[in-house]
Amino acid sequence: MKKGLKSAIVLMILICLAVTPLFAEGSQEDSDVLTASMATDTGGLGDKSFNDSAYAGLVKANTELGVDINVVESKQMTDYVPNLAGLAEDGSDVVFAVGFLMDEAVKEVAANYPDQWFAGIDIGGYGAAPENFIGIQYNEHEAGYLAGIVAGMMTKEYAGNSDKLNDENVVGVVLGMLIPPVEKFEVGFIQGVHYVNPTCEVLSIVVDSFTDSAKGKEAALSMIEQGADIIFQAAGGSGIGAIQACNEEGIFAIGVDVDQNAVSPDTVLTSATKGVTQSAYLVIKDVFEGNAMGGDVIYGIKEDAVGISSFHTHDSIVPQAVKDEVAMAISDIKAGKRTIETSRAAIGR
Amino acid sequence: MIDFILASQIFNVDLLSASIRLSTPIALAAIGATICEKSGVVNIAMEGIMIVGAFFALWFTYLTGSPWLGLLAGIAFGGAYSLIHAWATVTLHLDHTVSGAVLNILALGITRYMMVLAYGHPGTSDTVMHTLADYRFAVPVLSKIPILGPIMFEQTPIVYFMYIAVIFFTWFMKKTKVGLHIKAAGEHPLALETIGVSVYRIRYLGVVISGLLGGVAGAYLSIENQATFTEGMTNGRGFIAMAAMISGGWTPIGSFVAALFFGFADALQLRLQISGNLAVPSEIFTIIPYVATVAAVAGLVRKSKAPKADGKDFIIEKED
Repeated sequence: MKKGLKSAIVLMILICLAVTPLFAEGSQEDSDVLTASMATDTGGLGDKSFNDSAYAGLVKANTELGVDINVVESKQMTDYVPNLAGLAEDGSDVVFAVGFLMDEAVKEVAANYPDQWFAGIDIGGYGAAPENFIGIQYNEHEAGYLAGIVAGMMTKEYAGNSDKLNDENVVGVVLGMLIPPVEKFEVGFIQGVHYVNPTCEVLSIVVDSFTDSAKGKEAALSMIEQGADIIFQAAGGSGIGAIQACNEEGIFAIGVDVDQNAVSPDTVLTSATKGVTQSAYLVIKDVFEGNAMGGDVIYGIKEDAVGISSFHTHDSIVPQAVKDEVAMAISDIKAGKRTIETSRAAIGR
Repeated sequence: MIDFILASQIFNVDLLSASIRLSTPIALAAIGATICEKSGVVNIAMEGIMIVGAFFALWFTYLTGSPWLGLLAGIAFGGAYSLIHAWATVTLHLDHTVSGAVLNILALGITRYMMVLAYGHPGTSDTVMHTLADYRFAVPVLSKIPILGPIMFEQTPIVYFMYIAVIFFTWFMKKTKVGLHIKAAGEHPLALETIGVSVYRIRYLGVVISGLLGGVAGAYLSIENQATFTEGMTNGRGFIAMAAMISGGWTPIGSFVAALFFGFADALQLRLQISGNLAVPSEIFTIIPYVATVAAVAGLVRKSKAPKADGKDFIIEKED
């Protein structure tokens, strides 16, 4: 009896300690000010990529529009629904679900809170979502394609421009999980590489996690063994490990989602970016001004919402011919002259 | 023949050194868990201990600029964190599995909280400038052994530490008095108490050893393999370590061999994905390590025996 009681008390104390930090952040002040909030994917804030850029959109809304902001992080997939519902329950006017994996969760919660707005980043409504759901998607394949053009030309034609590049005509892609936004990055990249360099070998590895930096590193190392000298990562936290491997082995990496040059300035040649920050901000602005509408929005090169970042210190080794080829691809895509496939099946991988 | 296999695209020395890199944290945690369970305390908290060790190792490296101080901090905090498990299971007689499960959840909360305190946001920490990977060195003589030399003896500090741990704890458990006491605490605690050795103390020791080794395993991830801490970066390695401990038959060497096997399965699947000869979905490859784990545990578990009093509570009746 005594033992059981003691055990129960200890257990309760430990559980309290365990969950306290989860509730510590984002205290909610009730006021007339509009509140925008987001639930991150398992990658979490500080991924220096996807989740961080969505958060930057909220911060921008906070400084420019004066809205309150609130953020919770999902530790695992089972957190999605409670996190989103919790934010809605706290009185958020617009709740962002960041990441394709939250697809079902956000629609389920949106249906339960019809008076509040829900926005899904990388999540499409496909006409079947509740009316208060705003689906934001990007043409990742277009950004990947531009990065592919850079990689395809640099790894062969201009390999002499940097001692990070070798004579093997091989580049690689490290993927987090094989979900549509990631697959589109990869497939676009492959097409970009092959457009300028048809014989180039493009290796790809799926790590199957967005938080396993050690495995992301091993994935990159195994490609480097095969002669890869430029590795594109679309793998969130696992991708940080891939960049680390490129840094240690002295080859180039290509970042994803945001300009990741700061992660490793010597190593990151450029990044395939998507304008998550701007689009999140625009949704909040619409809600703020009362102009929000449910439905799907797709951002691509046409909207100047995806692309590649600047080369920073590597600018001098990237020849004008490469920059021209990228510029040409951009104008072709804008004019609808080039179609870029979006799935592995379509390019026969 | 050997040359032919090693020269092939997948089965080469790189595959083996990758196996060692991937198995190092698993092996360290598995050896720790082995000692702990030998003393009679079930420890499923290795995952949590590793993540705590990983965070503090990185943070102290960040604060002091020295990865060695970071490593010490990782070890110290891993050990201190495991004390909670010892206190809960030995002193308070809480169910071992329950305490372990709670510690795993608590570790996520603590590291999240500390991330916010230290870096202002959860998720991934800032990068540290110096890591233990800067101290990679080749062991004289041993690294000259053909094939195995460069794979095993041109490594980073914690990898060497793991080799030493395998040898040391094998000796420790077989040849030292304390090692035998640990074994007795897990096989027949009453007999140990009868000869005047405190079972409580020995079990505390067993748990703390697992904490120290778990701390090293965590530090390996954050300040040797990587230069950052990411929440949840252990990704289940603490649980794979349990599998390594079981299929390794609760011995340090067995744990090491099993961990090596799991690391090998992982290194192999990454390379199979880029071999390009097999037209199958990538999911098939990514499950290889897990299938290997299940197969190893299912295949070997009948032969391997847990300590008799593993997980059994030990209470000394005292007269008030």
